[in-house]
Parts: sequence; C-alpha cells; structure tokens
Amino acid sequence: MADQEKKPVDTAAIAGMLKKKEPEMKRILNYCVHCSICAESCFLYMAHNGDPQYMPSFKVINSLGKLYKKKGNVDREFLEGIKGLVWGNCALCHRCYCPIGIDIPRMIDFTRSICRSEGVYPEQDGGESWL
Amino acid sequence: MNEIYGLVRGPLALAAIVVFVAGLIFQARRFFSLTSEKPIVLPPASLLGKIEPRSGPSLDAINNSMLGVHPFLTVITTIFHVCLIMLPIFLLAHNVLLYESFGFSLFVFPELVANIITVIVILGGVFFFLRRIFVYRVRAITTLYDYIILLIVAAPFLTGYMATRQWFDYDTMLILHILSGEVMLVAIPFTKLKHGLLFFLYRYLMRYEHSLGSGTRVWSYSKSVK
Repeated sequence: MADQEKKPVDTAAIAGMLKKKEPEMKRILNYCVHCSICAESCFLYMAHNGDPQYMPSFKVINSLGKLYKKKGNVDREFLEGIKGLVWGNCALCHRCYCPIGIDIPRMIDFTRSICRSEGVYPEQDGGESWL
Repeated sequence: MNEIYGLVRGPLALAAIVVFVAGLIFQARRFFSLTSEKPIVLPPASLLGKIEPRSGPSLDAINNSMLGVHPFLTVITTIFHVCLIMLPIFLLAHNVLLYESFGFSLFVFPELVANIITVIVILGGVFFFLRRIFVYRVRAITTLYDYIILLIVAAPFLTGYMATRQWFDYDTMLILHILSGEVMLVAIPFTKLKHGLLFFLYRYLMRYEHSLGSGTRVWSYSKSVK
C-alpha cells in the first residue's frame, strides 16, 4: 500500500477500464434524472439523518460520474477522495431502489474496481472504518 | 409571420416527428444490442422445496417501493406523466391538424378537460422545479442541465395554454408553442427524457434487485466492445 501511494496513477489503465464499460455506465449515468428517490432505500442515508452524501445517486454521480467526465485523467488525491464515497458511505448491500431501473450497486462496484486497480482501498487492519 | 408559421407547422414539424420516432427506435435497438438474454438459473429443486411459496402480493414489496416510501410524490409524478403523454395525443387542435395532414384523427378530450390537464402538467412542472430548489438532497445532485430539461418539458404546455387563452400576441405564442413542442420531441430520445421509453426496458427486462418483470436480460460487452 505504501509503495502504491508513491506511484503515479496509471491514467491510461483507468481510461481503458472506463472505455470497456462505457456503453453501459456512461449510458446509465446520462439516464439518471436526479430525482433523489433512491435516498430512503439506503440504510446509511437513513442512519446519518438524511445526509445527501449517503444518497446512492450522490455517491455514483460524484465518483464514477466524475471519472467519466475527466475521462480517467485523475490523480491519486481524487481516487483517495472518492474512496470514502464508494467504500465508507456504501455497504454494497444492493438494496438501493431506483424508480427508473438504474442498477446503482453495479456502478459502485465498478468504481471500487477502478480504485482497487490503483491500490486505493480501505485498510481493514489499519483501524480504518468502512462505515 | 405566415412564412415562419408555415415553416414550423410543415417541414420542421415533420423533421421533429421523424427524429423523435427514429431516435426512439435507435435507443430501443441500442438497448437490445448492448444486452442479451441470460436464463435465470434456479437453485436445485431439492433446495427450492424448502422455500415457502409466496401466498399473495407482498405488502413488504409495496412498502419498500416508491409508493410505500413516497405516496404523495408517487401520486403527483404518476398524474404528471400520464397527463404529459395523453394531452398532446388527444388534444382537439392536434387532431384537427392530424386530420388535415393525414385524413384521420383520434379520440379527443373536451376543451374543459384539456384545459384542466394542461394546468395539471404546468403545476407539476412548478412542483418539480420548487422541489429541486428547496429539497436539500435533490438540490445536492441538481445541475443546470436538470433545469433545462424541466424547461424543455414545461415550455410546450405553458405556451400552448397561453396561446389558447390568447395571452400576448396569439401568432407569436402559437409559433413558440409549435417550436417548443418540436424541441421536446427531438430532445426525448437523446436526453434524460428517454426514460419515458427506457423505464419499461430497464425495469421489466433487466436483471437486478428491483426488476418488475422477467429480469432475463444482462449487459453484454462481447457484442459492444471490440
């Protein structure tokens, strides 16, 4: 992990991962109508007194959405920033409810894969809390 | 003014309808090309035998759905969407144009009903606009694009109502009404508004936690990614 932190982010690899799933992910990101109805289906949103940062759509728009906007051209600080959203603020319980049928956990899962490919993930034995 | 009216009523209207229909067909075809059927593999019969079959409609499923969590919003959004789709199709003035152009017409709403439906759609638009401004969690994910989409949807109804009531200059308002309607038609297949079509495909055909239908389709990359 310490070595990974020093390494620059492989933006080409991230761009490749984004490109591979672009037909689905970008399409679904553009399809979200920003209605926020997914909010109450997230137990973490409910447990944090309605803090929008725990809203499923917020997590996806501000992680994967930004990755696509930047076309994968991000630095380690950015990935560390979204780590909290896709790990800390999400238990990946697959209970998010989208009225128009967006499979939100699938997108969070994909974002985690991108972060993990660059060595960005929570340290389970380092006292770093997931939730 | 007559030339502009002739342009928006004729070639532009035809172009908008062609783009609208072709766009929806393109989106549907794209959906089916990016996804594929994958049969659901059930656990072994021996294991299934131990599961109690559901005796009737699940109250839990309704309680956890949008209807159970947001009953007021569900009613508002359902009425808004139904009115939004039905009014342009069954409006007397539109059916007169349809008859003049193609020699057939559909069932039409009485004028009073059409006026009430128009007001419902406009009020629905105002409701969603205010919701974006005043509800914190909605505001947290709202962008300028969301307001533009709302404007694109509301504009034909607003200008149509104003033209019917003969507010401001009738001819100008009528041209604005037709133009805004054409903008909406063109925008539907290529913006977030495509949820009018894709809602049914995603919620009924795709496999995920909250599928309403068979859920037998999954994203297929082998066909789309070289």
